[in-house]
Amino acid sequence: MNSRHVVTLAQKDLAIFFRNRFFAVITVLGLIGFLVMYFVMPRSGDATLKLGLYVPVEVPVFEQLQEEGLAIERVASEDVVRQAVSDGRFIAGISLPADILARLLAGDRPTVRLFFAADTPQEAKDAVAAILQELGYRMTGRSLPIEVSEEVLGPDLAGTPLPPRVRLRPLLAVMLLMMETMGLATLISEEIERRTIHALLVTPATVADVFAAKGIAGMSLAFGQAALFMGIVGGLSQQPLVVLAALFLGAVLVIAAGFLIGAVAKDMLSVLGWSMPVIIILLIPSIGVAVPGSVTGWIRTLPTYYLVDAVHRASSFGAGWETVWQNLLILAGFDLVLAWLGVVFLRRRMR
Amino acid sequence: MTQSAIVAEELTYQYNDLVAVDHISFSVAEGEILGFLGPNGAGKTTTVKMLTGQLRPQQGKAYLLGLDITKNVDKVQAEIGVCFEVTNLYEQMTAVENLNLFARLFDVRPFDAEALLERVGLLGRGHDRVETYSKGMKQRLMVARAILNRPRVLFLDEPTAGLDPTSAEAIRSVILEERTRGATVFLTTHDMMEADKLSDRVAFMNQARIVALDTPHNLKQKYGQRALKAKVVNRNGELEDRGVLMDTPDTPRLVEDLFASEKVVTIHSEEATLEDIFIRITGRGLVG
Repeated sequence: MNSRHVVTLAQKDLAIFFRNRFFAVITVLGLIGFLVMYFVMPRSGDATLKLGLYVPVEVPVFEQLQEEGLAIERVASEDVVRQAVSDGRFIAGISLPADILARLLAGDRPTVRLFFAADTPQEAKDAVAAILQELGYRMTGRSLPIEVSEEVLGPDLAGTPLPPRVRLRPLLAVMLLMMETMGLATLISEEIERRTIHALLVTPATVADVFAAKGIAGMSLAFGQAALFMGIVGGLSQQPLVVLAALFLGAVLVIAAGFLIGAVAKDMLSVLGWSMPVIIILLIPSIGVAVPGSVTGWIRTLPTYYLVDAVHRASSFGAGWETVWQNLLILAGFDLVLAWLGVVFLRRRMR
Repeated sequence: MTQSAIVAEELTYQYNDLVAVDHISFSVAEGEILGFLGPNGAGKTTTVKMLTGQLRPQQGKAYLLGLDITKNVDKVQAEIGVCFEVTNLYEQMTAVENLNLFARLFDVRPFDAEALLERVGLLGRGHDRVETYSKGMKQRLMVARAILNRPRVLFLDEPTAGLDPTSAEAIRSVILEERTRGATVFLTTHDMMEADKLSDRVAFMNQARIVALDTPHNLKQKYGQRALKAKVVNRNGELEDRGVLMDTPDTPRLVEDLFASEKVVTIHSEEATLEDIFIRITGRGLVG
């Protein structure tokens, strides 16, 4: 690989990208639009607490506990409530022992198990404690004599409640990243369809130079915008290196997706056709962060789950390498596999 | 003895079941223009792709400037220029930007894009986007791009196809200038007049094989038949064509009879064209 060739070709790709009015406009408007969207969101949170509750015996008083700002859903077992909290469906879970009434009546102190998600804010934990007390008063007319066992699923990131704009931040950053899939795929698709690739490959530039240049152009567009956005909205105020590393790996994912789509698409319209479903699917984990409880465990099969989770934990809770290294490792694994597939498909198409 | 710039030995390439190039061998001397003629699908472009390092021969060897192409693609590609049949310019960029891009890839320093544009008749349009160019202008820019590194071997694939006479003539002039500079030119074309005019030798390719390779003159001598074409006035006062084959024992008598029995208005000799010879050798025309 020749660095002079790579830089020359990357400059050419970026120049062509910004001469495509559609991509130039959506790139600039996308960044501005997402910044506006972020700043118009409320600074403070007012979310409904969704709780999972496992009660093995009939206790009618629970039916009366539905209050404003509180949504309680009964589930079939303790394992179900634990998994649902872990998946983000509930912000917290409560599991009561089967003999709670008998033990209370016998004057014992039964143990109530509480489950919290890693990022459950302290106010939600306080709310769950208050609910238990309320429950006690309704059942017995006094404070419940119980032991409480808390289990935090994943590393404890409890802190202040997150304002909606902060929850939205990873979604917007990942959307900015993903949008560039279309731009990169179009650059690649046009290079092949217009046969300019053939002109390049009879010069001293090699296929590796061309791939590297496309990768650099895609990285500049995707990572550059996402990092700029996170910088402006304060997403780099905590653990900037961790956030930037996650965004970098996210940009590699975008490049891999761009290579794959560029290898199958024939023109800009088919690039749009292929890109939209891919982008929508990859954005689902971000929606899970922005709207907790809106998605279930299957999102762990998507590479962007590990990206969003890492960005969210690092930028919102200050989680460091020790907390998100597994996410980054898994994301890097996805990157490697998808980038390899992208190169293989693209090489085949270029023949 | 002049060294060969291009040597092909038993070159073969097959796309699935289709044999595109079938054990062809030839050589092109340094400074020579070889016209490579054949109908669509004869294997011309596949041959060019193998000679320019775009395709790896499945059998046989190809050498450019003494280097085995498959083992020295980078070195070979630094010494060649390629003008493709299909326009493949960066149309969102200007002509100068297109040329500067390729000059940087070839590491041509210093590089004067304007001087090159002047050579191909595009001076003054260098800062316009290529998408605003006519087909002829684009083709001239393609030729300019192919010669910007002063290639020792220049591959031109149908460089004048479908062009207006001015653009075609401008490109032919550049080809001859390049030959004068010392470049070897591998010219793929359908246009037998162009091949005849420009080429030192021509190769006829048909159904993946080279069926004839020689100078246009020798091919005409070998396969063509000269004739006298006359226009005579018939009994009704109308013009009619008459023809007499030359180089036969009866030719003198037939010419004498023509002048004795007819009122000859014009008479001239006519050589066989390369197209006539191609048809005679292959039984088919160059186009189609």
